[in-house]
Amino acid sequence: MGLYLNQYPLASIVLITGFMMILIGLWGMLTKTNIIKIIISITVVETGVNVILVSIGYIQGRTAPILDTAVLQIDALSRVVDPIPSALVLTSIVIGLGTTALMLSYVIKMYRVRQSLNIEDFGVLKW
Amino acid sequence: MGPLGLKIIYTLITLVICGVYGLLLGAFMAKTMARVQGRIGIPLHQPFVDIIKNYGKRTAISHGIMFYLGPVFRLTGGIGTLVFIPVIFGSEYFSNFSVAGDLLLVMYFIFFGQLGMALGASEGGHPYSPIGIARGLAQMCAFEVPFALAIIAIAIQYNTFSITEIVAAQQGGILSWTFFTNPFAVVAALLAMLGMNMYPPFSIVLAPQEIPIGPPTEYHSAYLGMLQSNRAIFAAAKLVLFMNLFFGGATNFPVLVLKTWAIYMCSVLVGAAFPRFRPEETIRFFLRWPTVIGIVGLLFAKYYLI
Amino acid sequence: MVAYFQNPLNIYITAMAAAFLLGLVHKLGKMASLTLFYGALTMMAAVTLGSALSLSQPLIIQTAGFIAPLSINLQFGYYEAFFTICVNIAALLGGLYLYDYLKDSVLARALFLMLVVGINGMIMTRDLFNLFIFIEITSIATYGLIGLDRNIKALSAGFKYILAGGMISAFFLLGTALTYYKTGTLNIDQIIAMKDVLQDPIGLTAITLLLTALLIELKPFPANGWGLDVYQGSNAGIAAMISVGVSTGALFALYKLLPLFPAQHMGIISGIGLATFFFSNLMGLKQTDAKRMLGYSSIGQMGLVLLALSFFHTAPLTMFLGIVGGLFLNHFLAKAALFWIAGIVKKDHIKEWGILSQSKMLTVVFIIAVFALIGLPPFPGFWAKWQFIMVLGSGNHTFIIAAILIGSLFEAVYLLRWFNYVLAGSEEKLACEKSKRVPVLIFGLITAFISALLIKSSLGPQSSIYFFPIAFAVILMFVGNFIPTKLRALFAISGISYLSYYVQMNVSGLNLIFAQMFLWGGMILSIATFYKTKAKPATYGLLFLMLASLGGLVLSRTTLEFFFCWEIMTLASYLLVISGKNAKKAALTYITFSLGSAAFLMAGFALSNSLTLMGLAALPSSQATIVFTLLALGFLIKMGAFGVHIWVPGAYAEAEDDISAFIAAILSKAGVFGLFVIAIYMQSTISNSTLAYSLGWLGILTATFGALMAAFQEDIKKLLAYSSMGQMGYVIAAVALMSHLGWVTALYLSINHILYKSLLFLSVAGVIYRVNTREMYKMGGLIKKMPISFISAMMAIIAMSGVPPLTGFGGKWLMYTALIEKGWHLQAALAFFASGIAFLYMYRLVHSIFLGQAKPEHKDVKEAPLWLIIPQVIFMGLMMVGSTLPRLWVEKLSVAVGEFMPSTLTWSGQTATTSLGYWNGFMVMNIVGVIFVIVLIFLLLTFQKVQKVKQFNIVFAGERPFTPETTHVAYNMYAPVQKALGGWVKPRATAFWDGVTEWSHTLSHMFAGIYTGNGQTYLFFILLFFLMLNFLIGAN
Repeated sequence: MGLYLNQYPLASIVLITGFMMILIGLWGMLTKTNIIKIIISITVVETGVNVILVSIGYIQGRTAPILDTAVLQIDALSRVVDPIPSALVLTSIVIGLGTTALMLSYVIKMYRVRQSLNIEDFGVLKW
Repeated sequence: MGPLGLKIIYTLITLVICGVYGLLLGAFMAKTMARVQGRIGIPLHQPFVDIIKNYGKRTAISHGIMFYLGPVFRLTGGIGTLVFIPVIFGSEYFSNFSVAGDLLLVMYFIFFGQLGMALGASEGGHPYSPIGIARGLAQMCAFEVPFALAIIAIAIQYNTFSITEIVAAQQGGILSWTFFTNPFAVVAALLAMLGMNMYPPFSIVLAPQEIPIGPPTEYHSAYLGMLQSNRAIFAAAKLVLFMNLFFGGATNFPVLVLKTWAIYMCSVLVGAAFPRFRPEETIRFFLRWPTVIGIVGLLFAKYYLI
Repeated sequence: MVAYFQNPLNIYITAMAAAFLLGLVHKLGKMASLTLFYGALTMMAAVTLGSALSLSQPLIIQTAGFIAPLSINLQFGYYEAFFTICVNIAALLGGLYLYDYLKDSVLARALFLMLVVGINGMIMTRDLFNLFIFIEITSIATYGLIGLDRNIKALSAGFKYILAGGMISAFFLLGTALTYYKTGTLNIDQIIAMKDVLQDPIGLTAITLLLTALLIELKPFPANGWGLDVYQGSNAGIAAMISVGVSTGALFALYKLLPLFPAQHMGIISGIGLATFFFSNLMGLKQTDAKRMLGYSSIGQMGLVLLALSFFHTAPLTMFLGIVGGLFLNHFLAKAALFWIAGIVKKDHIKEWGILSQSKMLTVVFIIAVFALIGLPPFPGFWAKWQFIMVLGSGNHTFIIAAILIGSLFEAVYLLRWFNYVLAGSEEKLACEKSKRVPVLIFGLITAFISALLIKSSLGPQSSIYFFPIAFAVILMFVGNFIPTKLRALFAISGISYLSYYVQMNVSGLNLIFAQMFLWGGMILSIATFYKTKAKPATYGLLFLMLASLGGLVLSRTTLEFFFCWEIMTLASYLLVISGKNAKKAALTYITFSLGSAAFLMAGFALSNSLTLMGLAALPSSQATIVFTLLALGFLIKMGAFGVHIWVPGAYAEAEDDISAFIAAILSKAGVFGLFVIAIYMQSTISNSTLAYSLGWLGILTATFGALMAAFQEDIKKLLAYSSMGQMGYVIAAVALMSHLGWVTALYLSINHILYKSLLFLSVAGVIYRVNTREMYKMGGLIKKMPISFISAMMAIIAMSGVPPLTGFGGKWLMYTALIEKGWHLQAALAFFASGIAFLYMYRLVHSIFLGQAKPEHKDVKEAPLWLIIPQVIFMGLMMVGSTLPRLWVEKLSVAVGEFMPSTLTWSGQTATTSLGYWNGFMVMNIVGVIFVIVLIFLLLTFQKVQKVKQFNIVFAGERPFTPETTHVAYNMYAPVQKALGGWVKPRATAFWDGVTEWSHTLSHMFAGIYTGNGQTYLFFILLFFLMLNFLIGAN
C-alpha cells in the first residue's frame, strides 16, 4: 500500500501490524478446527481492525483527544489527534466484547449438547 | 315431373345398373379364384340367388337398435357414395347428385357406411366383429396414405377437387388420362385399392378360417342381403371413382363397364396369386412402397406437371 | 400526543425505554411485562405509520443537538417509511407469533426489541459507523434469539451465523475505517458527495469491503450456506424475522451505499443478484426440508430484489416502489406467512405437511403465499415482475430475462410440489395456538388487500372489468361452505351470463366469435356441473374465475391485461385440476408447463417493447420473428402441441369429470385465441415465412401423434385428452396457413371441437359416474342402459371423424382445401393419415364402452343423470342445426376473417365454393337423410317380426360361451398397429421431459453440495466472495 511510510513511520507500522493481524486471524478462522481457537482468531481479526482504525486517526506529535486542562479547548483542534477514530475504536471494542461473550456462551451450550469443541461436529445442517 | 324428379329416376337407374354390375363382378371374382385353385366355382348368377334368398328369409333376430341399424348405415353409405359421384361424363342426369360436393365429400362419405356398420356389428357382441373391425380400421389408415397422396397429386395436377372437372381435364385421347400423365400417383392409388377391396393378400378383415367373415359374423337374412347389396353397389362406386380419377371417365355405359372391369382385374389377379398378410404386415406394406410411390407421384405433379 | 406519533425517533426511544423497563417491570409480574413488550411493539408500529402518514417531504432527524456531519443524523423519507412500516408491522405480528418463545424469558423479549431497533436503525441512519453499530445490534440480538433454543440444530446454525457475522463486521469496520481515512467523514451523504476521492485502490477497497459486508448479509450465492442453516435450524418465528426483517435492513443499507459503487461496475451487483436467484432456486429443487426450502426461496427472492435494486436504485419513487418495492413486498408478505406456517406445522420433511390441510384458513394463506412467490396475479410479485421484465426487455437484457424466468420456474416447481404434499392430507391433529394463527391470517389478509389495490392501480381505467369478476369469484369461493351447491352453481351461471352479455356488447368480429365460444360454451357446460350432489366449496368460484378470465382475454387491449387474464386463467384452471381425486401429480405437470408457457409469453411481450397488443403490428420484421416465436411457443404449450404435450393426458384425465369437459372444450381455445391474436397483428411478417411453415408442420405432427397415442390408451379420459391434442394440431396448422380459408378452418374446427368434445366428455362423465372406472375394457354393452349417452357419443365421433353429413365434414373440407390451396401438399397427406388414425380411437371409444358384451356387474346401471343429459341434448341440437345449415355460421366466420384478408370463400344458396371445390351441406344432409329413411323403411317392411335376443346370445368357436362377457374385445385393441409402427409410437417426448427433470434435480443436488454444513467452508466462501468482488472491481 502506497501509504505515507516515510512521513508517518509509526502510523504505518501500526497499520501494517493491523493488516498482519487480520490476515493471521483469517488464517486461524479458516484452518483451526477447535471452536475456541476460531473465536480467538475472530478476536484477533477484530483487534487488527481496531489497530488500523487507531493508526488512521493518529497524527504525529499530537496528544489524545481528551479535553482536560492539558489541552485547552480553544486550540483543541490543532493539538489533538483526530478524535473520531478513537471513539470508533472504543465502541467497536465494546461491541467486540459483547460478541465474544456471546460466542463463548454459545460454545458452552454447544459443548453441553455435543461434548465436543471440534467445528466439524456441528455440521448437522447441510445441502 | 321436374328436373329433380328426372334426376332421381336416372339416379335409380344408375343404382340398379351398378348393383347388378357389382354383383356380377363379385361372381366373376369368385369364379376366377375357384379356377385358379382348380375348382369349378359358382355360376355367375349365384350372387343374385343368394341375395334373393337372404331377403326372403322369414326369421330374424336383433341384438339391439344399433345392430339393427348397422346394415342401414352400410347401405346408405354405399348408395350415397355412388350418388355423389358423376357416373357418365357429359350427362347431366347421370352425374347424379355430384353438385352436393366434390371429391372430398366422396372420400369422407365412404366412411359413413363403414362407421355405422362397425358400430352395428359391435353391438352383436361377437368377438370376431371387433377384431375384424379393428383390423379393418388399421388397414384403412394404412392404405389411405398412398390413396390420399394420389388424390392430392390429382388435385395439384388439375387444380380442382371437382370430379366432373377432373374427368373433363382427361378428355382428348388416351394419353391425357392421369394413368399416363402421372403414372406414379395411379400406381399408388391402385395399390391402395388392393387394400380397399380386401382381397388377398389384404383380406385380414374378413379373413376366412381365422375370424370367419369378421365384422358381419352375426348378420343374417335381410341384414345380410342389405350388406350384399351394398357390397355390389359400393364396389361399383369405387371402381367408377377410380375410373373417373385415373382413367379418363366414361361417356357411356359400355366404356364404363370396360374400364371398371379392367381396374377390377388388378385386384382379382393379385388376389388370386397371393396368400394373406398378417395385420401388422399389411400396415407396414402400405406405409412403405405404396407411400413412397405416392410421394413421388405428388412431387412429380407438384414440380413437373405444373 | 399527536407529535409523539409523528416523530420516527420515538421508535427508538420507545423500544429502548421498554427494553430497559422490561427488567424492572418483570418483577411486577409476567402480565405487566408482556403488556409492556407488546405495548411497545404496537407503539413502534403506530409511530412508524403516524410518521409516514404525516410525511410531506423527506425528514432529516438530527441528534445530540448538532447538525450533521458533526452528529449522527437519521433520515425518514418515503423509501425509509415504506421499509420501516413493513419491518415494524412484521415485528409486531412476529412478536405475537413468538409469544410462546418470548413469554418465559424477559431476556428474549429484550433481545427482540433490540433486533427491531437494529433493523430500524439500519434503515434510517445516515452515518456509516452508526450503521455498523446497528448491524451489530441486529446481529447480536439475532444470535441471542437463535441461541435461546437449546437444540443442536439451532446452536450449530447460530454459531455459523456468528462466524459469518464476525467476518462481516470485520469487513464492514475495516471498510468504514478506510472510507474515513480517504474522506474524513462518516456521514453517508458527504461520502457520496466525495465519492471521486474513493476512486483509488484504497478507496475502492474500502467500498468493496463495505459492499461485501452488506451483500453477505443478503446471503449471495455461493457465500450463503450459513444463511440456509440459520433458516433451517432456528425457530420458525425467528427465521421469519431474519428473512423479512434483517434482510430488509441489509437491503436498505445496501441501497444507501449503492451510489458509492462505481456505476460502470453495477453489472457485478446485477450478476450477483441474478446468480443468487437462479442457483438458489435450482438448488431448492432437491430440497425436502420445509424450512430449508423456504431458506432457498428467501435467498432467491432477495437475489431478485438485489437484481432489481441494481437496475432501479436511481429510478423515480413510483418506479422504485413499483418494482423493487413490489418484489420486496411480495417476498416479505409471503415468506413471513410461510415461515410462520412452518412453525405451526412443526414438520421438517415436506412429505409430512398433509397435516396443514386440517386448517382451512392456514391452507388458504399457504396457497396465497405460494402463488405470490411464484408470481401469479393478482399478488404483488406479479405486477413488479411484469414491470421489471418489461424494462429488461426494452433494454434487450435477454439473458437476464431468461435466467429470471427459468429460476422462477424452478421455484414454482418446488413450492407447488410442497403444496401437493399439503393437499395429501393427514390423520394427525394439527395443534395451533391463536397467537400463531392470528399473524398468519393478518398477513394473508394484507396480501389479499394489497393485491386488490394493485389490480385497481395497475390496470388503469379498465381495471373494474377485471376487478369485479375476481372479487365475485373470491366471494363465491369463500361462501362455498355456507350455501348449497346448486345455489352456488346458479350464482356462477348468472355471473357468467352477465359477463357474456357484457363482453359481447364490447367486442366485435373475431373477438366476438371467441367470446361466444368461451362464454356460451362455458354456460351450457355449467349446466352439467349440477349432476354432482356435492361440489367442493371453491369449485364454482374457480369455474367462474376461469371463464371470466377467458372473457377478459377477449377484452384485453394491452399486453399487461392479456397476460394478467392469461395467468388468472392458469391459476384458476390449475386449482380446478388439482381438486380432482388423484390429480396432484398431473396438476403439478400441468402448472409447470403452464408457467413455462407464461414465461414464454412474458419474454415475448418484453422483447416486443410494446404496451398494447396493437403495438405488435409495428415491430420490424427481425424483432417480430423473435417475438412471434416466443409468444407462439407460449400458446402452443397451452394447446398441447407435439413435444410439449405431456401435461395433456394427466390434466385432462385426473381433473373431475365435468371439469375435464371445460378444459378440453373451452380452455384449449385460449391458446387458439392467442395464436390468432399474434397471427393477426404480425400478419405481414409471418405470412409465407419459414416460421409459419414450421408451425404448420408442427400442427400436423401434433395431429398425427395425438391421434396415434389416443389409439393406444386404455383410460377413456386419456384417450379423449390425446384426441384433443390431435384436434388442436389441425387448428395450429390451419392458423399457420395464414390464409383466409386457413383461418376460417381454424375457427370452424375450434367451434366444432367445442361441440363434440363437450358431448364426449359429458357422455363419458355420465358413464364414469355410473360405472366408477375409467378403464374402457372394464365397461361394455352400455348402450342399452345409457342410450342417450350413446347417441351423444356416436354423434360426437361422427362429427369428429369428419364423416358427412355432420359438422365435422365441413372442417375436413375446409382444411384440405385450404392446405392444398396453400400448396402444403405433403402436410395434407399426413393430415389424411392422422384423421385415418383418429378412426381407430373413435371406434374403440364407442365400441369398448357402449357396444359389445356387457359386464354382469353393470346390470343395474342407469342412464346418466339428467343434468349431464341436458347440455348434451343442447349440443346435439346445435350440431344438427350447424350440420344442416352450415352457411348460417360459416359465413359469419368467413366475414370475421375477411376483416384481415380478402375472402376466398363464396356462397350461392347453401353451396360454398372455393378455388378448388364446392360443398353444399344442406343438400348432403337431405340426400343422406332421404336415403337412410328409404333404406330403413325397406328393412322395416322386409321384416314382419324381429326376435330380440339377449346380449349374451352368441355362438363363439362352435359353442355358447359360459362367460360371454369375457369375449368383449377391448383390451389392447390395436396391438398390430403398435407392432407395425414400432419405434414411431414410443413415448419419446415423455422420456425427454423425464430427462430434463432428472438432470435439473441432479444439478440441483450437485450445486447444493457446496453447502457442507461446516462453518469454515462457509467462511471460506465469504472470503472468496470478497476476493472475487475485489478482483472484479480492481480489474478495470
